[in-house]
Amino acid sequence: MKLRLLLLPLIALLSSGAAHARELPKTILPSYEPWDAEVVSTFENLLIQDGGRVKPLYTFARFTLLQFSGKTTASFQTADGVDHKLHYSEWLLNVLFQGKVAKDLPVFVVDDSAAVVQIGVSPKKKRDRYSYNEIVTGRAKLAELSAQYAEKQRQYEQSEKDPQYELDRIEGMILTLGRNISSFEYLIGQFGFARKGDVLVNENILPEELKQLARNLNVVEMLDRMPEMTVEQLVQTIRQQPGASEDERMFSGALRLFFFHANSARGVNLFPPQDKDNEVWLSAGDVLLKGLESKEDRPWATEQLSDLQALVDARNESPEAFSRELASFAEKQHSISDPRGEGVYSDLEVQLYRGKYFSNSLLVFIVAFVVMAFSWLAPGSKVGKILIIAAAVLALVGLALNIYGITLRSIIRQRPPITNLYDTVLFITASAVFLGLFIELFTRIGIGTLVAIVSGVLGMFLSMKYEAKEATDTITQLVAVLDTNFWLATHVTIINIGYAAGLVAAIIGVLYLAIRFILTMFGKEAKDFYRVLTRMSYGVICFCLFFSLVGTVLGGIWANYSWGRFWGWDPKENGALMICLWTLVILHGRMAGWIREIGVHMNAIILAIITTFSWWGVNNLGVGLHSYGFTEGVWGALYSSWAILGIFMLMGVFLWFEERGKKAARKDSQKISKKAVA
Amino acid sequence: MADSTPEQSSPSFGKLLFKFFTSFKLATIVLVLMTIVTLFGTLAQVEDGLHSAKVQYFHSWFIADSMGGLPILLPGGLLLMLILFVNMTLGALIKVKKRWKGAGLLISHFGMLMLLAGGFVTWAFSTDGYMAMYPGMSSNRVESYRNWQLEVMPLTEDGKGEKAWILPSDELQSIKSNESRSYESPELPFTIVVNGFTKNATPIPVSAPIAANAPGKEIDGFKLSPQKPSKEAEQNLPGAYVEFRPEGGGDPVEAILWAGSFRFDPRENPMPFTFEVDGKKYGALLAKKSWTVPFEVQLDEFIFERHPGIATARNYESRVTRFEEGQPEKALEIKMNEPMRYMGYTFFQESFGPSGSQPGDEMFSQFAVANNPADQWPLYALIVTGVGLGVHFTIMLISFTTRSRKKAPAPTS
Repeated sequence: MKLRLLLLPLIALLSSGAAHARELPKTILPSYEPWDAEVVSTFENLLIQDGGRVKPLYTFARFTLLQFSGKTTASFQTADGVDHKLHYSEWLLNVLFQGKVAKDLPVFVVDDSAAVVQIGVSPKKKRDRYSYNEIVTGRAKLAELSAQYAEKQRQYEQSEKDPQYELDRIEGMILTLGRNISSFEYLIGQFGFARKGDVLVNENILPEELKQLARNLNVVEMLDRMPEMTVEQLVQTIRQQPGASEDERMFSGALRLFFFHANSARGVNLFPPQDKDNEVWLSAGDVLLKGLESKEDRPWATEQLSDLQALVDARNESPEAFSRELASFAEKQHSISDPRGEGVYSDLEVQLYRGKYFSNSLLVFIVAFVVMAFSWLAPGSKVGKILIIAAAVLALVGLALNIYGITLRSIIRQRPPITNLYDTVLFITASAVFLGLFIELFTRIGIGTLVAIVSGVLGMFLSMKYEAKEATDTITQLVAVLDTNFWLATHVTIINIGYAAGLVAAIIGVLYLAIRFILTMFGKEAKDFYRVLTRMSYGVICFCLFFSLVGTVLGGIWANYSWGRFWGWDPKENGALMICLWTLVILHGRMAGWIREIGVHMNAIILAIITTFSWWGVNNLGVGLHSYGFTEGVWGALYSSWAILGIFMLMGVFLWFEERGKKAARKDSQKISKKAVA
Repeated sequence: MADSTPEQSSPSFGKLLFKFFTSFKLATIVLVLMTIVTLFGTLAQVEDGLHSAKVQYFHSWFIADSMGGLPILLPGGLLLMLILFVNMTLGALIKVKKRWKGAGLLISHFGMLMLLAGGFVTWAFSTDGYMAMYPGMSSNRVESYRNWQLEVMPLTEDGKGEKAWILPSDELQSIKSNESRSYESPELPFTIVVNGFTKNATPIPVSAPIAANAPGKEIDGFKLSPQKPSKEAEQNLPGAYVEFRPEGGGDPVEAILWAGSFRFDPRENPMPFTFEVDGKKYGALLAKKSWTVPFEVQLDEFIFERHPGIATARNYESRVTRFEEGQPEKALEIKMNEPMRYMGYTFFQESFGPSGSQPGDEMFSQFAVANNPADQWPLYALIVTGVGLGVHFTIMLISFTTRSRKKAPAPTS
């Protein structure tokens, strides 16, 4: 009864939360017509060059929406009361081909309404999502403030992080919002040249006569009739006062429109270059300017732009026509990129994200945890044992999903599994789960499985949170120093296995302390069980030492090849060294008789604190040669995790005192019995 | 009650000392302290930069610093590593019982000793500097990253410098900003007086409002304004007030010498301060310490590639020709992770410049040039340690799994 009373408020809270979650942001759109599935599928497989590599639009859409919205779906309720949840590729389709709808989709997340108040926009909830049309009322103020804060941030970086230039929380939000709105405007303006006067953004900078002209002007046809000129000459010509005649004014106006469209259509690089040796793909804006600069390139440029024009025209014609044109555009793009060896693994990349291997892996680990929890209701029984085996099998499935995802990522970029911080999360999780299951194989008491499941849940959850926080493509191009598969496969992999072992030792430590604390509270003991856990932990610590030490020295040898010194006391190097040192402290402290059972587990927790500092903390310091791994904004999460580990340390301190007390009592009783005998 | 234990003679001081230095307790304490020093030395880099933190925490015998207002008093990295070396040698190699089960540990400790010894040799005997050049240029001169020296030289009629008198960097950099030191040379008809050396400074006109707070005297309308040392020690531009006092009497010549007058692009020439004594011209400047290697390197081509469409460098490499008297010239490639090793010197592809170069601009290539007698020791140490640990942990794993299979109790037992 008491339990029910305790649970009631929790259930009420959860259901209110669920109700709250169901309430989607409303738009002024009267209704929404979803895209045809075939169109979406074709669109997803289009290629784009972004971040230094050719990738499917699917990936581009995913991270663009994640960056704007903090999630990978656009959810909203239309005026007809219907809820909609758009996948990121469908959202991007709207942005590129149905801009008017996209402008009303609430995708710009603002964590604190104070930020929108500052730009003169009516606030909604404290944290909410706004549409472009809601933000646009404060566009001028947003541009002004974000330019100001961008400059402040530049000064902060230049002054080696002088606190007077540090952006506060709201300033940071305004800067991010400004950048996101600006990116959105570039996206929506991509095919403006083909929309014949349907100017979707920045129309206020065009005078009325140019808007009129835009409706009648075919930019692609105009390109063919233009004189050859460079961008600089175009800008100069635009700046000159047009002549008095109607023709001269028309020509000047046409040039201004041409420049407006070319400038608006930058950033989405859909066109492989003509030259086979050139690796840089072009956007529609680049193609317009390339055609302008050289008459020789015009037939090619006109052909590319006509394809886009046909696509936009088909969109206005009928869904069937659009589907046909889109398929033709995609086929042509792939026929050029395939022989160039670009986007070869785009299918796999789409499969990687569509398969949701990592989120599914998390789901499986959570289910495994629930199954494991049920096994605790019938400890030692046949059912309990079956449930533990089921949980282990599920953990194995979770591990397989994770490894499959990692393998796909490795194939896509043709690199070993770890090339950036995000990869380390996936890899360390896989290693920790594997270690847990390996321990289970030899001990068969469920602890290894529990370690594997806990590692799986925490690791996969962290990977998702980190991806959302960074909101940039996680398959990144490497800086020159990392361009070596040998060292990536050896040093980087080995050191991360060491990290995984350090964390596994801590999970065992946490379990040991928690279980022993609870049993002690109930006046129970399980000495043999404790001893097995300690042996487990000790073995994992030795494993951690081996991999950390070998990984660290290999890193030194790599540094000696690339930077000219074996050891430079760089923060990342020091982090790895501290892991080695602390494992040695545990091993030597044990030999010295200073560290016993409880000590091993408490020190394993300290090892985890050092490992997380080395893994994340030093990357947040922003100093050293490992700049390619720098990140920001992780201190909060680190402090929280250390505080949680601190609670278990306190349990350890309690148990240590309790054990000391017992020993002292035993000694006293022995003395008393000796005296009695004497 | 009579004491039944036989009388024991107290151990000698030597034995006690041996026991102390071979103990696991000492090893544990040293390892804990090394972890703490490494942590503080890492955090100190955020405020002080890598070089300063390295000198203060890791290349020191004792540490006296403060962090976040808290005083830090600890044994320095050098002292701790020395104690660890002694502890390992005596405890893990000499005192330890030699048995097959402990073979892995013996080998791995030997490997770690090799690593520490390599670290010591590197710290004591290695040199490092850089060589920067544009394509077509050749050189055998290596310059220091951080060490500045004072050079004074007679100048020919056309302004070229002859053999320079050098105030070595260790001596120059040890002069405090409020200290004066005099130097004489039989080749120079004047005494050189350094009236203060500042690690990082900027000359400012006295008309500038901040000049009022700058210490030091005004020379030719300028003062030297001390700056906070940069976190990147290579970025520091030192300055010094220098006086040249003619031996035969007469008015001394005063000057502000500033490292900013040195060249920072391989094509630039240094601009020494020029003055006349007894009708002869002299030049003086703060220059980076430099030395030569016994062969010449010519940069034939510098290749710089970016990832398509972004600023991130994908690859940079240098095609060079090595010239050496009596040896045929040799064409080579130096790129990231593929250095050139020759005659004890190693040339690494380090960076490029000038900063802010755009595709198509002519760029120079910069090599890090290191001379480290213990260059390959870490690799050998790793092999030895890895084998040792591998053997030891394999023995342990077999023992652990065998015991676990035999006995696997449930938590509620």
